[in-house]
Amino acid sequence: MKRGRVLWHLVKADFLGRVRRTSFLVTLAFAVFLGYQTFAGHVVLRLDDYRGVYNSAWVGALMGVVTSSFLTLVGFYIVKGAILRDETTRVGQILAATPMSKSFYTLAKFLGNFAVLAAMVLVMAGAALCMQMFRAEDRALHLWTLLSPLLLYALPAMAFVAALAVLFETLPVLRGGVGNVAWFFLWTGLLAAGIGPAVTHGGSLTRADYFHDFSGLPTMVVQMRTALLKVDPGFQDGISLSIGGKPPQHRFVWTGIRWDSVQVAARLTWFAYAIAAALLASLFFHRFDPARERFARKQQEAPDRPAVQELAAARELVRSDPWAGRLTPLPPASVKNRFFSVVVAELRLMLQGHRWWWYAVAGGLIVACLAAPLSASSGGIILAAWIWPILIWSQMGSREARYATGSLIFSAPHALQRQLPAVWVAGVLVTLAAGGGLAIRLLIARDLHGLAGFVVAACFIPSLALALGVWSGSSKSFEALYTVWWYTGAAHHISGLDFTGTVAASSRPGIYLLLTVMLLAACWMRRRTQLAYA
Amino acid sequence: MKLSIENVGKCYRGKVWALRRFSLELKSGVLGLLGPNGAGKTTLMSILATITRATEGKVTWNDTDLATNPNTLRTVLGYLPQDFGVYPNLNTQEFLEYLAAVKGLDATAARRRIDQLLNLVNLADVRSRPLGGFSGGMKQRVGIAQALLNDPQLLIVDEPTAGLDPEERVRFRNLLSELSGERIVILSTHIVSDVEATATDIALISNGALVAHAAPEDLLRRVEGRVWEWVVPSADLNAVKQCYRISNTARRSDGVHVRVLTEEPPAGAQPVAPTLEDAYLDSLSIYRAGATA
Repeated sequence: MKRGRVLWHLVKADFLGRVRRTSFLVTLAFAVFLGYQTFAGHVVLRLDDYRGVYNSAWVGALMGVVTSSFLTLVGFYIVKGAILRDETTRVGQILAATPMSKSFYTLAKFLGNFAVLAAMVLVMAGAALCMQMFRAEDRALHLWTLLSPLLLYALPAMAFVAALAVLFETLPVLRGGVGNVAWFFLWTGLLAAGIGPAVTHGGSLTRADYFHDFSGLPTMVVQMRTALLKVDPGFQDGISLSIGGKPPQHRFVWTGIRWDSVQVAARLTWFAYAIAAALLASLFFHRFDPARERFARKQQEAPDRPAVQELAAARELVRSDPWAGRLTPLPPASVKNRFFSVVVAELRLMLQGHRWWWYAVAGGLIVACLAAPLSASSGGIILAAWIWPILIWSQMGSREARYATGSLIFSAPHALQRQLPAVWVAGVLVTLAAGGGLAIRLLIARDLHGLAGFVVAACFIPSLALALGVWSGSSKSFEALYTVWWYTGAAHHISGLDFTGTVAASSRPGIYLLLTVMLLAACWMRRRTQLAYA
Repeated sequence: MKLSIENVGKCYRGKVWALRRFSLELKSGVLGLLGPNGAGKTTLMSILATITRATEGKVTWNDTDLATNPNTLRTVLGYLPQDFGVYPNLNTQEFLEYLAAVKGLDATAARRRIDQLLNLVNLADVRSRPLGGFSGGMKQRVGIAQALLNDPQLLIVDEPTAGLDPEERVRFRNLLSELSGERIVILSTHIVSDVEATATDIALISNGALVAHAAPEDLLRRVEGRVWEWVVPSADLNAVKQCYRISNTARRSDGVHVRVLTEEPPAGAQPVAPTLEDAYLDSLSIYRAGATA
């Protein structure tokens, strides 16, 4: 009973702490936006050229899989950081001094995360209700049919994500930017692992497949396919859940998911996976021990000098050790407006603190760009070269907030006119250097269009990082957005989304130049408001 | 060298005024800014350090308005905030070099200055250690060093001795005294003894308003002849508290030594020399009584 009360208060405090932040409103706004996009027909679940009539079954299923497929990706980034917050606010040290066990704490953090994600599911449920009413293709409301996909697809998936966010935070390797990048690939893997059997088993799922299905999409489409085959025996298996694209021309009536005990058990198992992940996290949780925190003291501290208890004794000591004369006045000409000194300082700040292998890989990619055939350099190698420094870019603009150095830096002269541009120039230099091998190749090949695209990309990437950093005060937003953009747009050379600009067919340097200017203007505006006197 | 604060006010969200109609004119010397928690000291410091914009009023440095030209002050400003962070992956030398560049110092002068400052704050031995492993007191000394990087004409230090051990605290007080020659030093603290040791002027602040601005001697003069001490049995202490404004109590073998601020001496009490703490408590209680009335 007592433990239940403690757990309730922990989760409540965590939840209230989050919902009272502006970022929570942004979170809900995103859920509303996604709900609206689905409502407006921009997010489409299609089977060849078919979609279902918007009845309770189809709308509920659509909202359920949109939430478990797309919102799980974003949801992770939203909730990750609960333990870090306790660490930075020092509340963690107070909690660590209580009898609370590590597993109890990680379970509480998991439930706090889950409460936030469940609020997003609630928004999607509201959107589902509105969608069915306002699309008005079938107004007969069947609440269980409408809401069961959200309850049994979305909520278990969200629970697992909530627990993984806690697990990532407790693992030293994954708690920072590496974890943010890794989550995208893990998420892709989770979706693929579920969808795979639906494709390979010729449209039927084995009992075990239900338990691998993270999003619920395969389970659902198997039933939809069966229903559609009765309407159109010539249906060819073309199933997709996509954003944008031409709307399907035909409709069919689908009456909803037929839940059986295996399917329900499989969905509920994701809650068990979530609890297991939260408990696993407790094994790695450092319980706010400063010696095991991120920047633990790596070296033995210098031995303390003998403690001086009485101030009078200390005074005497200082009298015998006068410091006067040790600090000579600074010549007046020493303080000047030196932009390039700041660029060098920012560059050093960016490049310091990485392990030797980080530089080795970065160097290897530069050499690979130079030595490989041009098609390989401007394809896979430049992609690798421009994902490798992601954790350097993601610090841009957010470093001052993260390490609380804003008051030191913003009270320096010309912080807006000198420090901010210096950060950007340093970021551009890092980007140019990372892909420098390709630039040389393009120059040799006299591919001026490719070179223009390369230079614009080298300006665009740090601009995006700086804008997101300055606006969000966190590295997470860039790490998440850039990884998704890099994978979906650049790696697949999707026209308009390929920011690398090195493949002529998908390159749009003009658009990215314009975007760069807009992002820089956004940085400037935001930093102006952060500085009391610009 | 002149810093003028004219009718400055700062209103936070929810119409909470942290500072209201605050005026002060400062010339070279050490100003001790004293006040209880939440008095508005840090808000005032942030405004003077150009970190926060005043809601009303004007701050000028050598007759230049900070609202229109903050860089005039920033080039000669050294600021040690109450709460500040460091980049944990950098060592002391690198962190100071970075801030020196941001402040516009040339590399050679910066290196010489950093050497001197690291010796001054006793961090020369650990200059190569990552800041992430520093204790609170060591980090505070890095903060002191960075505030002095550009040889500031205006040095603003907010609770600078927090986390320092007694030896370092005295060293820092001495440092402030000696720095004060041709510059303005503003020292915000609630530790009266820090101010006592260094300040040439004292400003008392409460509820966002200036309560008093005077030399320490003048403040002490105001309570002269009104501070008394006597010994009472432990059992009578509560009764004494009801009747008198107590500035200090100390339990000894012969009973409790009680120090009070009062016009009329209690029976058996001896007059004692006032301290700045007595003057501070007296000024605050007079101000609060006036505000309540």
